[in-house]
Amino acid sequence: MAVRSGSRRRSVLVLLVLTSLTLITVDVRVAEHGPLRSLKDFSRDLVAPAQQIVDDAFAPVADWFDGVRSAGELRAENRRLRRRVEAAEGRAARAAVALRENEELRALARLPFLEDTPAVVAEVVAGAPGNFESTLVVNKGRADGVAPGMPVVTGAGLVGRVSAASRRRATVLLITDRMSGVAVRLVRTGGTGVAQGRPGGRLRLDFVPAETPVRHGELVVTAGLHNGAFPAGIPVARVASVRRLPGELTKTIELAPVAALRQLSFVKILEWPRAEGGG
Amino acid sequence: MRTARLGVLLGVLLLLQTTVMTHLRIGGVMPDLGLVATIAVAYRGGPEAGALFGFAAGAAADLFLQTPFGLSALTWVLVGYVAGVVQEGLVRSAWWVPPVFGGLGCLAGGLAFLAIGALVGQEQLWTARTLRLAMGAAVYGAAVAPVVFGLVAVTLRHPGARAGRGANTAPW
Repeated sequence: MAVRSGSRRRSVLVLLVLTSLTLITVDVRVAEHGPLRSLKDFSRDLVAPAQQIVDDAFAPVADWFDGVRSAGELRAENRRLRRRVEAAEGRAARAAVALRENEELRALARLPFLEDTPAVVAEVVAGAPGNFESTLVVNKGRADGVAPGMPVVTGAGLVGRVSAASRRRATVLLITDRMSGVAVRLVRTGGTGVAQGRPGGRLRLDFVPAETPVRHGELVVTAGLHNGAFPAGIPVARVASVRRLPGELTKTIELAPVAALRQLSFVKILEWPRAEGGG
Repeated sequence: MRTARLGVLLGVLLLLQTTVMTHLRIGGVMPDLGLVATIAVAYRGGPEAGALFGFAAGAAADLFLQTPFGLSALTWVLVGYVAGVVQEGLVRSAWWVPPVFGGLGCLAGGLAFLAIGALVGQEQLWTARTLRLAMGAAVYGAAVAPVVFGLVAVTLRHPGARAGRGANTAPW
């Protein structure tokens, strides 16, 4: 009897493992248009109303928890901001020059005006449901004109792009997710590259020629390459550190996003025409 | 009947996971309630029950993740099965069993998810930071395990049930 029971449970295990492997294979091979994608979209729409209710009800507790959790960060940020204000006062006289320089750079690069791009404003209703991805969920979906691939921004800069959209919800893959790559350009020098998402809320720009001058704090914007996923000129990040190993012909730049990705409430989804393209 | 009750429990945990828990991250991690529940079901019901519940919970979680559909299901099936086998040698009445069993199960589940994910083409999952996240999630999982184990125990309870080991011959 025990032998039969052991045999049965092993059979169940094998069956479930094979089923799971089949599902993985099907999803990987027909990721965008397969029945599993429809099932995912349906599920997200199904829980959307309950998600909204729970999110609204839980908002005060979440705010309190965020406050407790980020108290230390806020103190550190306060000190950092004080230092930045002092530095900013010293730089105020140079602001007009920097502005003119920025305008010249924009004109040189023929950057389109982002203000002209139609957009959908969406509220962030949830973060990533798992530990190993950097995503967020917004309360707008296909019914609002949102589609996979669309860039997502805030007033500060690029947040990410829509990775999945059901009728009433969309998932945004943040630029800091390891699956994210954004074609970017260093504003001062014009050097280009692909900024890959990195764990810990940063991005990394690899294989930058060693002779390219890079300044700490330098702004990095979307490159807007032909058939690119993002319009040109959206601020992405600032240079946080530059690393070059002795003897290397290239250097690696670590970037800090300009948008506060951990404290987003509302975002703007750009109805960028070339949304299905890469990087 | 118990299958239906477990289905309801799974739905509630999934809703919590996709809403409330996303706000309760500590150090960037949150517990996988479905995984903790899988371990709890395996603890109460044995390997077969653990594997079946793990498949259902994992597939449900996969609906909301970016990773390939079936990855969590596969991982949690294995965790549920192994947890069910291991529980046969445990002393059920010990108070420390849920957090320790839940924590270790979550650690195994997290590491297995990353390893299997890397094997099926998600190489970005296997990094030093994600390994640290898996450890953090295991600690968090251990913290919520007593509550989830309690919920599973209540869900699986029926008037004629006897306490203690022995329930592993029938899933639910």
